[in-house]
Amino acid sequence: MNEGTEKVTNVAEATLAARGLTKSYGDFEAVKGVDFQVYRGECFGFLGPNGAGKTTTMKMIYGAAIPTGGELKVVGMDVRRAEREVKRRIGVVPQENNLDEDLKVKENLLVYGRYFDLPRKLVRKRAALLLEFVQLQDKADARVEQLSGGMKRRLLIARALINDPDLVVLDEPTTGLDPQARHLVWDKLRELTGEGKTLVLTTHYMDEAAQLCDRLCIMEGGRIIVEGSPREMISEHVSSEVLEIRAAPNDLEKLTAAVESVADSVDSIGGAIYVYTPDAEVVTRRVRESGITVSNVLHRQASLEDVFLKLTGRRLVD
Amino acid sequence: MDKMRLPSWRGAFRVWQRNAIIFRKYWKTILLPNLFEPLLYLTALGLGLGAFIREGGINGLTYTQYIAPGLLASNAMFAASFESTFNTFIRLKIGRIYDAIITTPVNAEDIVLGEYLWAGTRSALYGTAFLGVLTGLGLVFETPLISSPWALVIPPMLLLIGVMFSVMGTLFTSLISSLDFYAYYFTLVVTPLFLFSGIFFPIEDFPAPVPQIAWFTPLYHAVNVCRALATGPSPGVLVDIAWILVFTAALALLPIHFMRKRLIS
Repeated sequence: MNEGTEKVTNVAEATLAARGLTKSYGDFEAVKGVDFQVYRGECFGFLGPNGAGKTTTMKMIYGAAIPTGGELKVVGMDVRRAEREVKRRIGVVPQENNLDEDLKVKENLLVYGRYFDLPRKLVRKRAALLLEFVQLQDKADARVEQLSGGMKRRLLIARALINDPDLVVLDEPTTGLDPQARHLVWDKLRELTGEGKTLVLTTHYMDEAAQLCDRLCIMEGGRIIVEGSPREMISEHVSSEVLEIRAAPNDLEKLTAAVESVADSVDSIGGAIYVYTPDAEVVTRRVRESGITVSNVLHRQASLEDVFLKLTGRRLVD
Repeated sequence: MDKMRLPSWRGAFRVWQRNAIIFRKYWKTILLPNLFEPLLYLTALGLGLGAFIREGGINGLTYTQYIAPGLLASNAMFAASFESTFNTFIRLKIGRIYDAIITTPVNAEDIVLGEYLWAGTRSALYGTAFLGVLTGLGLVFETPLISSPWALVIPPMLLLIGVMFSVMGTLFTSLISSLDFYAYYFTLVVTPLFLFSGIFFPIEDFPAPVPQIAWFTPLYHAVNVCRALATGPSPGVLVDIAWILVFTAALALLPIHFMRKRLIS
């Protein structure tokens, strides 16, 4: 992207910039020196398995965790020196719902706006507009506990926008939502980037990252292991096509041996092997010639998920 | 962990305001039990037990006159203690209200100061209502329970007393991980203070070291202040007020420090 390279040269305009950023809890180093830059109007994603350091990084951006080392500049200011000023200009959508249950839907926005010392009239006006934006205008006087999970998430997004922030930080914005609710949240986030807002989000969902992010990075074990646009990442790290072949467990090894020479790489997990290849037909022919009985073959385009799994390993992380 | 910052009054006011908005919705339901409790003590002990106390009462006061101002002080203690224990814990751990607030320009330190002020306000509000009831009862039964115009200074004093007990309660809250621990706080701190601070009998008449120990406890001085203002103060009350101010100031930063540690890693 031409636009991207132009942005990179103009480092001073980064909305968010980290250099050698670390965070330790006692002996445990949650973030082990990360560098990233996010530019105005961009949506930047942090992907990674649980415990990769994504949430800790987000917390350092919005002041709930203090960096141990390195540099972190948010909206042009050092988070350690200008804590209050930074918080004045960002919006935060936390991973866990922390709406004020003692207040009604609209009151949540009104009271929250007052934390920013915004004039009452302005907060009132913005609250009405934001409720409309997240399609909750009919729920203005409802109690928070009456809202569905998707509605609560949308209210959190509205709340994060009450101060008209330069940067919106979203920690797993659609975790736990049903598909309809997720799509609605995505639409709203896309509208925000369309308006020129800068977004930073964490997610477990590759489709979410592919849908929303201009650029993203994958974190593992407190480090950023790769960074780029979704398309760049796919072309750089995996072959264009993937074959998922299922077979009896003791046949998997033989199967791997049969296709290895014609594939870029082969991964084995559970009862299947994943064959990355530029040419799926050659692989299928090899499988047929080997005479091994396969129960199921799925042929698809490589996705961000394959990049993720290839780089972070196909094991379960909790 | 970064160093604690001093709280800002503006941020504290926002937290106070949030609590006031919610209080305004439910004040009628919350206020009533808080009025009933001291009235129950006043009736049961003042009239019931008081009937067995000889003419002349204590220091020239009838027993009801003697305990009424002390109940003003203990009422403020209870109001501020509930606010800074159960209510604060729920906002901290269950509602996660503070987690939301610290992402705004209101810092963790401001939250704690705001909660102190709110607990003080609540104590003053309840106390003022109870003071009104006491004055009214005195008129109805023609034995004044509040006999000095200095009583007008009681509400701001109750605010100060509320802040003091809020600092204590918040300190306990900032150190515990479960609501169950409050049983210890109320049984080992609040109830003994309630019983042995000179509300129901003069603690000075006890053999040493009981009065000396009482001198080092907060409610004792709060009771002295309220009784002095209700009956006409002597300059000695300034010592009690100074004690409350020094104790509150000396302790106030500790809960702020611990709460910041809990909210910001």
